[in-house]
Amino acid sequence: MKNWLTILFCVLATSVHADETNRNLQPVADPRPILADLQHKMASLESVYFEFAQERQLQLFAEPLKSEGVMLIDRPGQIRWETTSPYQSILLGNQKSVAQFEKTDGQWKKLKLGFPQMLKRVMDQMTLMHQGKLDALTSDFNISVATGRVAVVTMVPKDENVRSMLSSLEVIFQPDFSASKEVVMHEPGGDFTRIIFRQEKRNVKFPANTFDQTKPLDVAAIKTAIGDAP
Amino acid sequence: MRHKLLFLSLALLTGCASASRSQIQRPANSSLADAMITQRGVLTVLGRQFTLNGYLSISATGGKRLIITENFGGVLADVLIKPDGTVHVMRSSRAFKPKWIRRYIAADLECLFGNNLKTDCPGQMLSPTHFLISRRWYKLDLQIVETKPGPQPATMFDESKAGNP
Repeated sequence: MKNWLTILFCVLATSVHADETNRNLQPVADPRPILADLQHKMASLESVYFEFAQERQLQLFAEPLKSEGVMLIDRPGQIRWETTSPYQSILLGNQKSVAQFEKTDGQWKKLKLGFPQMLKRVMDQMTLMHQGKLDALTSDFNISVATGRVAVVTMVPKDENVRSMLSSLEVIFQPDFSASKEVVMHEPGGDFTRIIFRQEKRNVKFPANTFDQTKPLDVAAIKTAIGDAP
Repeated sequence: MRHKLLFLSLALLTGCASASRSQIQRPANSSLADAMITQRGVLTVLGRQFTLNGYLSISATGGKRLIITENFGGVLADVLIKPDGTVHVMRSSRAFKPKWIRRYIAADLECLFGNNLKTDCPGQMLSPTHFLISRRWYKLDLQIVETKPGPQPATMFDESKAGNP
Protein backbone atom coordinates (compact mmCIF):
# COMPACT_ATOMS: atom_id res chain seq x y z
CA MET A 1 0.00 0.00 0.00
CA LYS A 2 2.70 2.50 0.99
CA ASN A 3 4.65 1.80 -2.13
CA TRP A 4 1.90 2.28 -4.64
CA LEU A 5 0.61 5.36 -2.89
CA THR A 6 4.10 6.73 -3.11
CA ILE A 7 4.31 5.95 -6.76
CA LEU A 8 0.91 7.50 -7.32
CA PHE A 9 1.95 10.72 -5.68
CA CYS A 10 5.16 10.76 -7.61
CA VAL A 11 3.80 10.22 -11.06
CA LEU A 12 1.18 12.85 -10.48
CA ALA A 13 3.96 15.37 -10.36
CA THR A 14 4.18 15.31 -14.14
CA SER A 15 0.56 15.51 -15.05
CA VAL A 16 -1.80 16.98 -17.64
CA HIS A 17 -5.25 16.43 -19.15
CA ALA A 18 -7.21 14.88 -22.06
CA ASP A 19 -9.17 11.84 -23.15
CA GLU A 20 -8.23 9.20 -25.66
CA THR A 21 -9.45 5.67 -26.11
CA ASN A 22 -7.60 4.27 -29.10
CA ARG A 23 -4.12 3.81 -27.79
CA ASN A 24 -2.64 1.67 -30.60
CA LEU A 25 0.21 0.68 -28.33
CA GLN A 26 3.51 -0.96 -29.19
CA PRO A 27 5.80 -2.20 -26.40
CA VAL A 28 9.18 -0.52 -26.03
CA ALA A 29 12.04 -3.02 -25.92
CA ASP A 30 14.31 -0.96 -23.68
CA PRO A 31 12.42 1.50 -21.47
CA ARG A 32 15.52 2.81 -19.70
CA PRO A 33 16.13 5.87 -21.91
CA ILE A 34 12.49 6.88 -21.53
CA LEU A 35 12.63 6.48 -17.78
CA ALA A 36 15.85 8.49 -17.68
CA ASP A 37 14.14 11.26 -19.64
CA LEU A 38 11.21 11.17 -17.23
CA GLN A 39 13.64 11.43 -14.36
CA HIS A 40 15.19 14.48 -15.95
CA LYS A 41 11.80 16.16 -16.39
CA MET A 42 10.71 15.46 -12.83
CA ALA A 43 13.99 16.74 -11.43
CA SER A 44 13.49 20.13 -13.07
CA LEU A 45 9.99 20.62 -11.72
CA GLU A 46 9.79 23.24 -8.96
CA SER A 47 6.08 23.09 -8.25
CA VAL A 48 2.89 21.80 -9.77
CA TYR A 49 -0.84 22.37 -9.35
CA PHE A 50 -3.58 20.30 -10.89
CA GLU A 51 -7.22 19.46 -10.59
CA PHE A 52 -8.32 15.86 -10.79
CA ALA A 53 -11.40 13.69 -11.15
CA GLN A 54 -11.19 10.34 -9.46
CA GLU A 55 -13.39 7.43 -10.49
CA ARG A 56 -13.45 4.32 -8.39
CA GLN A 57 -14.97 1.47 -10.39
CA LEU A 58 -16.25 -1.36 -8.23
CA GLN A 59 -17.89 -4.24 -10.06
CA LEU A 60 -20.82 -4.18 -7.65
CA PHE A 61 -21.79 -0.67 -8.61
CA ALA A 62 -23.39 0.23 -11.91
CA GLU A 63 -21.70 3.62 -11.90
CA PRO A 64 -18.22 4.67 -10.74
CA LEU A 65 -17.84 6.34 -7.35
CA LYS A 66 -16.66 9.81 -8.21
CA SER A 67 -14.73 12.45 -6.34
CA GLU A 68 -12.89 15.61 -7.31
CA GLY A 69 -10.08 17.64 -5.92
CA VAL A 70 -6.75 19.36 -6.31
CA MET A 71 -3.17 18.38 -5.67
CA LEU A 72 -0.29 20.76 -5.08
CA ILE A 73 3.40 19.98 -4.80
CA ASP A 74 6.14 22.43 -3.99
CA ARG A 75 9.81 22.17 -3.15
CA PRO A 76 11.16 21.10 -0.79
CA GLY A 77 8.77 18.22 -0.37
CA GLN A 78 5.56 20.05 0.41
CA ILE A 79 2.37 18.40 -0.70
CA ARG A 80 -1.35 19.13 -0.44
CA TRP A 81 -3.98 16.62 -1.55
CA GLU A 82 -7.46 18.08 -1.22
CA THR A 83 -10.77 16.45 -1.98
CA THR A 84 -13.37 19.08 -2.81
CA SER A 85 -16.36 16.92 -3.76
CA PRO A 86 -18.49 15.13 -2.58
CA TYR A 87 -16.87 15.93 0.78
CA GLN A 88 -14.08 18.29 1.77
CA SER A 89 -10.82 17.03 3.20
CA ILE A 90 -7.21 18.22 3.11
CA LEU A 91 -4.05 16.12 3.52
CA LEU A 92 -0.86 18.10 4.05
CA GLY A 93 2.71 16.93 4.28
CA ASN A 94 6.23 18.30 4.48
CA GLN A 95 9.62 16.89 5.40
CA LYS A 96 8.81 16.91 9.11
CA SER A 97 5.13 16.16 9.57
CA VAL A 98 1.72 15.49 8.11
CA ALA A 99 -1.74 16.81 8.91
CA GLN A 100 -5.33 16.22 7.90
CA PHE A 101 -8.32 18.54 8.03
CA GLU A 102 -11.99 17.70 7.59
CA LYS A 103 -14.76 20.18 6.95
CA THR A 104 -17.76 19.55 9.15
CA ASP A 105 -20.78 21.82 9.29
CA GLY A 106 -18.83 24.53 7.48
CA GLN A 107 -15.85 24.42 9.82
CA TRP A 108 -12.40 22.95 9.21
CA LYS A 109 -11.25 20.63 11.97
CA LYS A 110 -7.73 19.29 12.34
CA LEU A 111 -7.62 15.55 13.01
CA LYS A 112 -5.43 13.64 15.42
CA LEU A 113 -4.09 11.28 12.79
CA GLY A 114 -4.07 7.57 13.53
CA PHE A 115 -1.05 6.50 11.47
CA PRO A 116 0.86 9.67 10.60
CA GLN A 117 4.04 7.70 9.94
CA MET A 118 2.49 6.07 6.89
CA LEU A 119 1.65 9.37 5.27
CA LYS A 120 5.00 10.79 6.36
CA ARG A 121 6.78 7.97 4.59
CA VAL A 122 4.86 8.76 1.43
CA MET A 123 5.91 12.39 1.69
CA ASP A 124 9.56 11.53 2.31
CA GLN A 125 9.69 9.32 -0.75
CA MET A 126 7.85 11.97 -2.70
CA THR A 127 10.63 14.38 -1.88
CA LEU A 128 13.21 11.96 -3.26
CA MET A 129 11.20 11.51 -6.42
CA HIS A 130 10.74 15.24 -6.77
CA GLN A 131 14.52 15.44 -6.85
CA GLY A 132 14.53 12.99 -9.71
CA LYS A 133 15.65 9.91 -7.81
CA LEU A 134 13.63 7.16 -9.40
CA ASP A 135 15.61 4.30 -7.90
CA ALA A 136 12.64 3.32 -5.73
CA LEU A 137 10.56 2.63 -8.80
CA THR A 138 12.77 -0.10 -10.20
CA SER A 139 13.42 -1.67 -6.84
CA ASP A 140 9.71 -1.98 -6.06
CA PHE A 141 8.18 -2.46 -9.52
CA ASN A 142 8.72 -4.26 -12.78
CA ILE A 143 8.34 -1.47 -15.30
CA SER A 144 7.38 -1.70 -18.94
CA VAL A 145 6.65 1.00 -21.47
CA ALA A 146 4.42 1.04 -24.54
CA THR A 147 3.90 3.85 -27.02
CA GLY A 148 1.26 4.74 -29.59
CA ARG A 149 -1.32 7.50 -29.65
CA VAL A 150 -0.52 7.72 -25.97
CA ALA A 151 2.41 6.42 -23.97
CA VAL A 152 1.83 4.04 -21.11
CA VAL A 153 4.17 3.14 -18.29
CA THR A 154 2.96 -0.01 -16.56
CA MET A 155 4.28 -0.83 -13.13
CA VAL A 156 3.73 -4.25 -11.57
CA PRO A 157 4.65 -4.55 -7.89
CA LYS A 158 7.42 -7.01 -7.16
CA ASP A 159 6.17 -7.64 -3.65
CA GLU A 160 3.53 -10.34 -3.53
CA ASN A 161 1.71 -8.68 -0.63
CA VAL A 162 1.46 -5.41 -2.52
CA ARG A 163 0.35 -7.30 -5.61
CA SER A 164 -2.53 -8.82 -3.65
CA MET A 165 -3.95 -5.27 -3.37
CA LEU A 166 -2.60 -3.68 -6.54
CA SER A 167 -2.05 -5.87 -9.58
CA SER A 168 -0.69 -3.03 -11.69
CA LEU A 169 -0.50 0.71 -12.01
CA GLU A 170 -0.69 2.42 -15.37
CA VAL A 171 0.45 5.94 -15.99
CA ILE A 172 -0.82 7.28 -19.28
CA PHE A 173 1.29 10.04 -20.77
CA GLN A 174 1.20 12.32 -23.71
CA PRO A 175 2.95 10.57 -26.63
CA ASP A 176 6.11 12.61 -26.07
CA PHE A 177 6.10 11.85 -22.33
CA SER A 178 5.91 15.56 -21.63
CA ALA A 179 3.14 15.05 -19.09
CA SER A 180 0.77 12.42 -17.80
CA LYS A 181 -2.96 12.38 -18.52
CA GLU A 182 -4.24 9.83 -16.08
CA VAL A 183 -3.33 7.14 -13.63
CA VAL A 184 -5.17 3.83 -13.42
CA MET A 185 -4.70 1.49 -10.47
CA HIS A 186 -5.87 -2.06 -11.19
CA GLU A 187 -6.81 -4.43 -8.40
CA PRO A 188 -6.68 -8.23 -8.59
CA GLY A 189 -10.46 -8.73 -8.65
CA GLY A 190 -11.06 -6.37 -11.57
CA ASP A 191 -11.89 -3.23 -9.64
CA PHE A 192 -9.88 -0.17 -10.54
CA THR A 193 -9.42 3.50 -9.75
CA ARG A 194 -8.86 6.08 -12.44
CA ILE A 195 -7.52 9.55 -11.74
CA ILE A 196 -8.00 11.92 -14.63
CA PHE A 197 -6.14 15.22 -14.73
CA ARG A 198 -8.12 18.23 -15.82
CA GLN A 199 -5.83 21.14 -15.22
CA GLU A 200 -2.16 21.61 -14.64
CA LYS A 201 -0.02 24.59 -13.80
CA ARG A 202 3.71 24.14 -13.49
CA ASN A 203 6.30 26.11 -11.57
CA VAL A 204 3.71 28.33 -9.95
CA LYS A 205 4.30 30.38 -6.82
CA PHE A 206 1.84 29.29 -4.18
CA PRO A 207 0.55 31.93 -1.74
CA ALA A 208 1.52 31.89 1.93
CA ASN A 209 -0.14 29.27 4.13
CA THR A 210 -0.96 26.98 1.19
CA PHE A 211 0.80 24.17 3.03
CA ASP A 212 0.24 25.47 6.56
CA GLN A 213 -0.53 22.59 8.89
CA THR A 214 -2.34 24.74 11.44
CA LYS A 215 -4.61 26.81 9.26
CA PRO A 216 -4.22 26.03 5.56
CA LEU A 217 -5.28 28.67 3.08
CA ASP A 218 -8.64 28.05 1.46
CA VAL A 219 -8.37 26.42 -1.94
CA ALA A 220 -10.42 29.19 -3.54
CA ALA A 221 -7.77 31.72 -2.49
CA ILE A 222 -5.05 29.50 -3.92
CA LYS A 223 -6.86 29.22 -7.23
CA THR A 224 -7.27 32.96 -7.37
CA ALA A 225 -3.60 33.55 -6.57
CA ILE A 226 -2.29 31.23 -9.25
CA GLY A 227 -5.05 31.92 -11.73
CA ASP A 228 -2.81 33.75 -14.18
CA ALA A 229 -0.01 31.22 -14.12
CA PRO A 230 0.61 29.34 -17.38
CA MET B 1 -17.88 -7.49 49.09
CA ARG B 2 -16.01 -9.15 46.27
CA HIS B 3 -19.30 -10.08 44.55
CA LYS B 4 -20.59 -6.53 44.92
CA LEU B 5 -17.48 -5.12 43.30
CA LEU B 6 -17.73 -7.63 40.51
CA PHE B 7 -21.37 -6.78 39.96
CA LEU B 8 -20.63 -3.07 39.97
CA SER B 9 -17.85 -3.55 37.45
CA LEU B 10 -20.04 -5.62 35.18
CA ALA B 11 -22.87 -3.13 35.47
CA LEU B 12 -20.63 -0.25 34.54
CA LEU B 13 -19.14 -2.20 31.67
CA THR B 14 -22.47 -3.29 30.25
CA GLY B 15 -26.01 -2.05 30.52
CA CYS B 16 -25.86 0.68 33.11
CA ALA B 17 -23.13 2.62 31.38
CA SER B 18 -24.87 2.74 28.02
CA ALA B 19 -28.40 3.17 29.32
CA SER B 20 -27.58 6.58 30.73
CA ARG B 21 -26.10 7.85 27.46
CA SER B 22 -28.21 9.76 24.96
CA GLN B 23 -29.65 7.71 22.14
CA ILE B 24 -29.96 8.60 18.48
CA GLN B 25 -33.57 9.55 17.85
CA ARG B 26 -34.47 9.26 14.22
CA PRO B 27 -37.67 10.89 12.98
CA ALA B 28 -40.48 8.50 12.19
CA ASN B 29 -40.65 7.32 8.55
CA SER B 30 -37.08 8.46 7.94
CA SER B 31 -36.03 5.20 6.27
CA LEU B 32 -35.35 5.35 2.55
CA ALA B 33 -36.81 2.78 0.20
CA ASP B 34 -34.26 2.58 -2.61
CA ALA B 35 -31.17 4.74 -2.74
CA MET B 36 -27.42 5.00 -2.93
CA ILE B 37 -26.00 7.05 -0.08
CA THR B 38 -22.44 8.34 0.10
CA GLN B 39 -21.07 8.97 3.57
CA ARG B 40 -17.96 10.51 5.04
CA GLY B 41 -16.96 9.52 8.53
CA VAL B 42 -14.31 10.34 11.11
CA LEU B 43 -13.69 7.37 13.39
CA THR B 44 -12.04 8.13 16.73
CA VAL B 45 -10.42 5.21 18.53
CA LEU B 46 -8.22 5.72 21.59
CA GLY B 47 -7.92 9.40 20.75
CA ARG B 48 -6.73 8.79 17.21
CA GLN B 49 -8.79 9.68 14.17
CA PHE B 50 -9.27 7.91 10.85
CA THR B 51 -11.30 9.09 7.88
CA LEU B 52 -13.57 6.66 6.08
CA ASN B 53 -15.87 6.70 3.09
CA GLY B 54 -19.11 4.75 3.14
CA TYR B 55 -21.19 3.70 0.15
CA LEU B 56 -24.58 2.42 1.21
CA SER B 57 -27.06 0.83 -1.16
CA ILE B 58 -30.57 0.44 0.17
CA SER B 59 -33.31 -1.68 -1.33
CA ALA B 60 -36.78 -2.01 0.08
CA THR B 61 -36.82 -5.67 -0.86
CA GLY B 62 -33.11 -6.58 -0.87
CA GLY B 63 -31.79 -5.01 2.29
CA LYS B 64 -28.78 -2.81 2.90
CA ARG B 65 -25.24 -3.14 1.55
CA LEU B 66 -22.48 -0.97 2.99
CA ILE B 67 -18.97 -0.76 1.59
CA ILE B 68 -16.41 1.17 3.61
CA THR B 69 -13.19 2.40 2.03
CA GLU B 70 -10.15 4.31 3.21
CA ASN B 71 -9.07 7.65 1.73
CA PHE B 72 -7.58 6.22 -1.42
CA GLY B 73 -10.28 3.70 -2.21
CA GLY B 74 -9.11 0.49 -0.57
CA VAL B 75 -12.04 -1.54 0.74
CA LEU B 76 -11.95 -2.00 4.50
CA ALA B 77 -15.34 -3.58 5.09
CA ASP B 78 -18.31 -4.83 3.11
CA VAL B 79 -21.47 -5.94 4.84
CA LEU B 80 -24.95 -6.96 3.72
CA ILE B 81 -27.97 -6.83 6.01
CA LYS B 82 -30.98 -8.65 4.67
CA PRO B 83 -34.52 -7.39 5.27
CA ASP B 84 -34.95 -10.05 7.98
CA GLY B 85 -31.97 -8.62 9.83
CA THR B 86 -29.46 -11.34 9.06
CA VAL B 87 -25.95 -10.00 8.66
CA HIS B 88 -23.50 -11.22 6.02
CA VAL B 89 -19.91 -10.03 6.14
CA MET B 90 -18.95 -9.96 2.47
CA ARG B 91 -15.45 -8.60 2.91
CA SER B 92 -13.24 -7.76 5.85
CA SER B 93 -9.74 -6.35 6.31
CA ARG B 94 -6.97 -6.03 8.83
CA ALA B 95 -8.58 -2.80 10.00
CA PHE B 96 -12.05 -4.29 10.38
CA LYS B 97 -12.29 -7.94 11.40
CA PRO B 98 -15.50 -9.87 10.65
CA LYS B 99 -16.43 -9.84 14.34
CA TRP B 100 -16.17 -6.06 14.50
CA ILE B 101 -18.09 -5.60 11.28
CA ARG B 102 -20.89 -7.80 12.59
CA ARG B 103 -20.94 -6.36 16.09
CA TYR B 104 -20.42 -2.67 15.46
CA ILE B 105 -20.69 -1.66 11.81
CA ALA B 106 -23.87 -3.65 11.22
CA ALA B 107 -25.32 -2.40 14.50
CA ASP B 108 -24.56 1.24 13.68
CA LEU B 109 -25.99 0.78 10.21
CA GLU B 110 -29.23 -0.49 11.70
CA CYS B 111 -29.28 2.40 14.16
CA LEU B 112 -29.03 4.98 11.40
CA PHE B 113 -30.82 3.34 8.50
CA GLY B 114 -32.74 0.36 9.91
CA ASN B 115 -36.46 -0.02 9.42
CA ASN B 116 -37.09 -0.79 13.06
CA LEU B 117 -36.12 1.56 15.84
CA LYS B 118 -33.19 0.15 17.81
CA THR B 119 -32.62 0.69 21.48
CA ASP B 120 -28.83 0.48 21.72
CA CYS B 121 -27.87 3.47 19.60
CA PRO B 122 -25.77 5.74 21.82
CA GLY B 123 -25.14 9.09 20.21
CA GLN B 124 -26.85 12.08 18.68
CA MET B 125 -28.52 13.09 15.49
CA LEU B 126 -26.96 16.51 14.92
CA SER B 127 -28.96 17.09 11.76
CA PRO B 128 -30.84 14.89 9.28
CA THR B 129 -27.51 14.26 7.53
CA HIS B 130 -25.09 14.37 10.45
CA PHE B 131 -24.80 11.76 13.18
CA LEU B 132 -22.48 11.18 16.10
CA ILE B 133 -22.25 7.62 17.37
CA SER B 134 -20.60 7.32 20.79
CA ARG B 135 -19.83 3.80 21.88
CA ARG B 136 -17.39 2.82 24.58
CA TRP B 137 -14.61 1.86 22.20
CA TYR B 138 -15.07 4.48 19.56
CA LYS B 139 -16.83 7.54 18.28
CA LEU B 140 -18.02 7.93 14.73
CA ASP B 141 -18.84 11.35 13.31
CA LEU B 142 -20.81 10.50 10.18
CA GLN B 143 -22.15 12.80 7.49
CA ILE B 144 -24.31 11.94 4.53
CA VAL B 145 -22.72 13.83 1.67
CA GLU B 146 -24.77 12.56 -1.25
CA THR B 147 -28.04 10.68 -1.76
CA LYS B 148 -29.12 9.27 -5.09
CA PRO B 149 -32.64 7.85 -4.95
CA GLY B 150 -33.43 4.95 -7.23
CA PRO B 151 -33.35 1.17 -7.45
CA GLN B 152 -30.03 -0.55 -6.84
CA PRO B 153 -28.64 -3.60 -8.71
CA ALA B 154 -30.13 -6.83 -7.40
CA THR B 155 -26.68 -8.44 -7.23
CA MET B 156 -25.86 -6.01 -4.42
CA PHE B 157 -28.17 -7.88 -2.13
CA ASP B 158 -27.25 -11.44 -3.05
CA GLU B 159 -25.26 -12.89 -0.17
CA SER B 160 -23.93 -15.69 -2.37
CA LYS B 161 -21.94 -13.17 -4.39
CA ALA B 162 -19.14 -12.06 -2.13
CA GLY B 163 -16.96 -9.10 -3.01
CA ASN B 164 -13.56 -9.39 -4.57
CA PRO B 165 -10.74 -10.48 -2.28
